[in-house]
Amino acid sequence: MSEAEIVKRAQAGDFEAFTELVNAHKDKLYAFVRKLTGDPDDTNDIVQDTFLKAIDKIDQFRGEASFGTWLTSIALNQARALFAKRKQGEMKPIEAYLPVGATNGEHPLAEASLFDWEDPLANLERAEIGRLIEEGLETIPFAYREAFLLRYVEEMSVKEVAATIGQTVAATKSRILRARLALRDFLSKRFEAKYGEKVRRIH
Amino acid sequence: MAKKCEEFISGLADYIDGEIEPELCEEIEKHIGQCNNCRIMVDSLRQTVRLCREGKEEKLPPALEEKLTGMLKKRWKEKFGQA
Ligand SMILES: [Zn+2]
Repeated sequence: MSEAEIVKRAQAGDFEAFTELVNAHKDKLYAFVRKLTGDPDDTNDIVQDTFLKAIDKIDQFRGEASFGTWLTSIALNQARALFAKRKQGEMKPIEAYLPVGATNGEHPLAEASLFDWEDPLANLERAEIGRLIEEGLETIPFAYREAFLLRYVEEMSVKEVAATIGQTVAATKSRILRARLALRDFLSKRFEAKYGEKVRRIH
Repeated sequence: MAKKCEEFISGLADYIDGEIEPELCEEIEKHIGQCNNCRIMVDSLRQTVRLCREGKEEKLPPALEEKLTGMLKKRWKEKFGQA
């Protein structure tokens, strides 16, 4: 049975069909929200409320997007409401993440880490990298983080992300890029702190 | 050279994602061949997305799942009168 057919059955009141949809999407939704919020308790609340809201609004689902995308957008609205109440850090201007300053020091804001990742990637445990990613994502303001995660974890196109977050394609692109640069820089600095010393000693 | 790197920065991400005109792609490839900074930048930007996709795939915790099943059933009954 196709997902569209399962959705139709659920919309007609078949709880078993709805359970099937929940089971098909629960882990992916949980993983996404966990990255989005960085907090297990927030994640539990949002995932739970998302499925409850999905029941309330199931008649409104028209199948324009996939059911998974629909769930993602419900979860996103809740996460936004949550983070709207919290103070968000500022994003550094894009110049701060450019590679130039690291070598010539011309740009006062430029302090991008340009450390070769070969060594850390060969040696770091997956769990440790996962922790670093989580930590790094938390340093990125919500509006940038959501765009980045929708693009690369939910694998939406830039256009789809723009429609989902209600921004222009250009603004969306800029948010995705800045989040990516910021996360890259965070990881690079952590890698450098851990492996830079060793490299310097060898050379 | 520094000026050039700066011009490339937004192009680099498009280049990695394969969303770039062939002409600019060639130009970037040539630049990366000569500029170690931009080579590291491209490599690490690519890895950033890969690590983010692969990193700790969290699954719905069993305790939440149990709680959820009960809650959903209850809400369903309220809406449809049966579950
Ligand atoms: Zn360069």
